[in-house]
Amino acid sequence: MTLLLLSLFFFIFPQKAYAYLDPGTGSFFLQVLLAALLGGLFAIKIFWSKIRIFLGEMLSRRKKYGKGEK
Amino acid sequence: MERAKSSANIPASFRDPSGFLFYRDGLLYRQINLTYKENYDHLMSSGLYETLTDGALLLAHQEVDIEAAKPDKAYKIIKPEAISFISYPYEWSFSQLKDAALVRLEIQKRSLEFGMSLKDSSAYNIQFRKGRPIFVDTLSFEKYREGSPWVAYRQFCQHFLAPLTLMTYRDIRLNQLLRVHIDGVPLDLASSLLPFRTRLKFPLLSHLHLHAKSQKHFAHKAIDMSGRKVSRLSFLGLIDNLESAVRKLKWRVQRTEWANYYEDTNYSEEALSHKKEIVARFLEETTPKMVWDLGANVGLFSRIASKRRAQVIAFDIDPAAVEKNYLECLKEGETNILPLLLDLTDPSPGIGWENAERESLLERGPADAVLALALVHHLAISNNLPLEKIADFFSKICHWLIIEFVPKSDSQVQRLLSTREDIFPDYRESVFENEFQKFFVILNCVRIRDSERRVYFMERRPK
Repeated sequence: MTLLLLSLFFFIFPQKAYAYLDPGTGSFFLQVLLAALLGGLFAIKIFWSKIRIFLGEMLSRRKKYGKGEK
Repeated sequence: MERAKSSANIPASFRDPSGFLFYRDGLLYRQINLTYKENYDHLMSSGLYETLTDGALLLAHQEVDIEAAKPDKAYKIIKPEAISFISYPYEWSFSQLKDAALVRLEIQKRSLEFGMSLKDSSAYNIQFRKGRPIFVDTLSFEKYREGSPWVAYRQFCQHFLAPLTLMTYRDIRLNQLLRVHIDGVPLDLASSLLPFRTRLKFPLLSHLHLHAKSQKHFAHKAIDMSGRKVSRLSFLGLIDNLESAVRKLKWRVQRTEWANYYEDTNYSEEALSHKKEIVARFLEETTPKMVWDLGANVGLFSRIASKRRAQVIAFDIDPAAVEKNYLECLKEGETNILPLLLDLTDPSPGIGWENAERESLLERGPADAVLALALVHHLAISNNLPLEKIADFFSKICHWLIIEFVPKSDSQVQRLLSTREDIFPDYRESVFENEFQKFFVILNCVRIRDSERRVYFMERRPK
């Protein structure tokens, strides 16, 4: 799993000789990769929570409406 | 608390070119340099400052009109609200470090809403004020540029996620690695110490293990960084994932030698309540503002002082006792007790550049009063410390001293002596009094009812 992710990682980011960079580079590249993945998951999470809120409101409206009928 | 520093720059704030802290006439100020003008103005005008200070997340400050410490660079001088005692992450319990991490992430999220981001993640920029973690560095905010990554990501993992994970999955004492590594636990070290099962949890696998591998792979390599962007949504996703990773880390307080101390003492109920009475009476006579309770355990006696409006720092050597005490403070909404981890036989030293970036315990004193209850026998017998040395040390950290002497005949001292040769012929009440009188004036001494122990009330002799 680790090897697979890392090899994917190095494939996506080929190395070029521009400047000498400090060990923060490794953190930066991991962040770019992770953030892309986590951004997608976060979007789904927000989407789901909106659906849940929407459904929750629908249900509570129905309940109110139901009570009103009685 | 007295402050000897009248006019000097603070050695902890030299790294950031945006400004620095300095003392003048015993008061603490922060100079904001012209280079930070744009970011500071945005922080103040965008509404972020109000949001964070209203939420008790950022230390409030006032702009003041005094002469700058370095006038050629100065934009403004601010006076931050006072923090009564500066503490460091290696002195915090598990939940204190965890709460500090969550405050950091919360500030980062709110900053993004106002078009700003945090440029560092140092745990040292969090302090405890009124018992809760608060961010103290007004100069850590910078304008957020769409697409830029979180520059503080590595530091967050090293200062918070790595030590918290090590404390949860390996050993609670591993927060002491922060005392050795001033910029947080190196991720390769954390990765090698953590058990395999942490690799099965995605946030820990990615933010710690893969992160360490990536750092190793890219060290000393030349890379083209341009064109690599982190979108705002991705940025939020990263913060959200770190937050849920931190929230999931939990440490269940184990039964330890000290955390259950009061279930296992030789006090009768009468003796304990009499001891409380004596301590309360002595505290009444001094009304100290700052009390250090040494060997505070879960804070039974700290609370006698805190209920008298003193700010109490409740030090203990046991991570479980400190954790229990902190959780109790949260539960009861107590704001003037700060439980901290401290080995009195090896108190926090001055660390960092020139041994001056983080202050030693002694530099952060003296306290107005020290409580040293049921402590001296541990120092003298378990740690072979001569009574004169103990008295000398106490005279350096307080003005008033409330100290208990536990004689050799006491069953707790007998327990300490049961596994070792008694090489302490001088451990007697009369020697104790003589040695302490070299440094202190004994104002009062009361024998605890139903016990052979005595509580002394002393005042330091003028030097």
